[in-house]
Amino acid sequence: MTQAQIIAARLALLAAVLAAWALLPKYGVLDPRLLPALGDVLEMLVKQLGRPLVHEAIGVTALEVIVAFVIAVPLGAAIGVAAAEFEYFGQIFKPMLFYVFSVPKSIFLPMFILVFGIGFPQKVAYAAFSTVFIVIMSATAAVESVKADHVLVARSCGATRAQILLRVYVPSMFPVLLEALRISMIFNFTGVMIAEMYASRTGIGHLIANWGENYQMPELFAGVILLAVVAICFNEAVRALEARVSKWRT
Amino acid sequence: MRRPSPAAVRWLLLAALLLLWELVPQTGLLPELFLPPLSKTLKVLWLDRVEYATNLLVTLHEVVIAMLIACGAGILVGALVGGIAVLRNLMLPVFSSLYAVPIVILYPIFTAWFGIGSESKIAFAGLYGFFPVMLSTAAGIRTIDPQYLLAARSMGATIPQQITRVIIPASIPTVLTGLRLGGALTIIGVVVSEMLTASAGIGYLVTRYRTILDSAHVFAGILMILLLSILFDLLARWVERRTLVWQTAGRRGPSTATDTTTLPAPAPV
Amino acid sequence: MSAIEVERLSHVYAGAEGGVPALEDISLKVEAGKFVVIVGPSGCGKTSLLMMLAGLRHQTTGTILCDGRPITDPDPSRVGVVFQEASLFPWLSALDNTEFPLALRGDPREERRRRAEAMLNLVGLQGFGARFPHELSGGMKQRVSIARGLVQDPPVLLMDEPFAALDEQTRMTMGHELLRIWSQTRKTVVFITHSLTEAVYLADEVLVMSPRPGRIVDRITIDLPRPRTYEMMATDTFGKLRERIWQQIRKPEGAH
Repeated sequence: MTQAQIIAARLALLAAVLAAWALLPKYGVLDPRLLPALGDVLEMLVKQLGRPLVHEAIGVTALEVIVAFVIAVPLGAAIGVAAAEFEYFGQIFKPMLFYVFSVPKSIFLPMFILVFGIGFPQKVAYAAFSTVFIVIMSATAAVESVKADHVLVARSCGATRAQILLRVYVPSMFPVLLEALRISMIFNFTGVMIAEMYASRTGIGHLIANWGENYQMPELFAGVILLAVVAICFNEAVRALEARVSKWRT
Repeated sequence: MRRPSPAAVRWLLLAALLLLWELVPQTGLLPELFLPPLSKTLKVLWLDRVEYATNLLVTLHEVVIAMLIACGAGILVGALVGGIAVLRNLMLPVFSSLYAVPIVILYPIFTAWFGIGSESKIAFAGLYGFFPVMLSTAAGIRTIDPQYLLAARSMGATIPQQITRVIIPASIPTVLTGLRLGGALTIIGVVVSEMLTASAGIGYLVTRYRTILDSAHVFAGILMILLLSILFDLLARWVERRTLVWQTAGRRGPSTATDTTTLPAPAPV
Repeated sequence: MSAIEVERLSHVYAGAEGGVPALEDISLKVEAGKFVVIVGPSGCGKTSLLMMLAGLRHQTTGTILCDGRPITDPDPSRVGVVFQEASLFPWLSALDNTEFPLALRGDPREERRRRAEAMLNLVGLQGFGARFPHELSGGMKQRVSIARGLVQDPPVLLMDEPFAALDEQTRMTMGHELLRIWSQTRKTVVFITHSLTEAVYLADEVLVMSPRPGRIVDRITIDLPRPRTYEMMATDTFGKLRERIWQQIRKPEGAH
């Protein structure tokens, strides 16, 4: 199949799903109390986006996402680079990272609440905690991806340590780092959502949890769609950037 | 002095951590609200063992059923998507785009549909675990060395024979890794959903005790969940190791045990 | 004065029980403008020796002089290096890769461009400056690598099995090309290879090394006329020279 055919097929699939969503609840094939028709959901979405309460919630969530990211990334990067540069340190900690990923980090959320109470610091702290590990792992992988051959060639051309860092490490790692940031943001966003849904008085996650508890289905679906669209758009934008920057990667 | 092996250092760190867990709260450096001593946590766990055991059973029940769903559907769909080129080209990039969305936001929908009992947890965790199993099965089918199929065909193997005698055995290593990841995510999915809205289960217990600020019981629950996930992980890795001999045998690419480029990334939860 | 003078060089790798001797008492002189090829069995230390000649590694004992001055650090204005893997930086174009040593030095852009383009012309890649490594064939990548090694006009060029990763036909073409470049620039070349044919075809003198710990066990002068041609490979003299090198390499340890 050609690229055009593939895109056409996907669009057709999407259209079919959306059409089903629009029509089946409308005509009672699926219970509209459980699955409101797409039309109603979109209408509700527009309505919600006009409410100041929702604006505030979006603002709170966005701020949490940004602050947590700004904390987790430099911290994780420093540890990750150290693990790559200092072999002994890396050998000790790398296997531990794998265990971290198979453990539900959300189970620690109550701990954060016990310490910070419920509020902005707790959510940010938890989200940063969720994110820092993937940043560490990505940073280590990025440093290790720089080929020793390239470093040798640079040395043979008379490069100083600083020049090697700037002219070999940085350009070599750049695409990997971009991807790492993208994936870290996914972790970060998820962490914020969980914290907001679990125990919070503000934020979009809280709103969604609330709507769910009160069986306000159109609102709930509207919120889910909003978040999904934002997440996907951001992800695809960074992916497109990665593709442009990585033309030279095999 | 020769440096101790990294493994030894890890055990030492673990021991040090446990020691600190015991001593730091006792010296008053951290209030007990933040960190109850290890001994108290264990004591509370023992005293209320019936309550914890009952809820653990609920959690385990949900985990097992969700795993069956996630792994069964994951392998089936993964085999189809991975094996049929049209489906693969169409669907795989879609799934990797969907990875950006935190699945947890779907949970309220599940509770609205299925109630706050075990069904919603199983459905949610099943979905959570489905994706890694599906993606790694699809990836596993793709990376089977075509030479093997060529050899089988040249010896007159029919399509069903090619599937049972070449494709299935060659896919087992990747599928096992996918099952390990999927299983881990299923546990994570159950725990998250129990914490959010539930009436039973270890996650529910932890939340309940948190609201009354009973740190010792909270930490007891956390400890149980940690042990559960680590045990599962060890068990899954042991099974994988037993089939290690096959792992690079049928592959075109790098060993799938450590190859993270074709397998889905770890869970964001 | 010789272009390269190595005196009583030995090298021991650190390790348990006093270390692993890699090179033993190597002394050699290379006259300016000569093309010298080093051959030897795998592991004999020829790459290590080259690394030391380039200043990338420090020998345990002994001295290395280039034009009378000791070599202690990499200096592309005195010694250019071409590795087996072209190792071009994939994020830079062929031109940017070639002028890389000049950019490190902070030379003005116009100057760098001019030099790099001149070098690419020299190696036969005129007009390919804007191409990226993933758009170049293996042979072309090595040419860029050679251009980069020559860009600061060093009197000495070191080459560590530069054609080993190429297919045989490309190898032969590249060898011929290299001789052309050498005759135009009159550099002193030290070239490592596993291929005896390549050694006899290219060299003025072939140095044979023993298995580890590496020593120079034979110096064979190749007095075939220049310019070398492919037809020479079929001659008796060629065959005898190659045979002689092979005999030296095959000799068991201790018989040297």
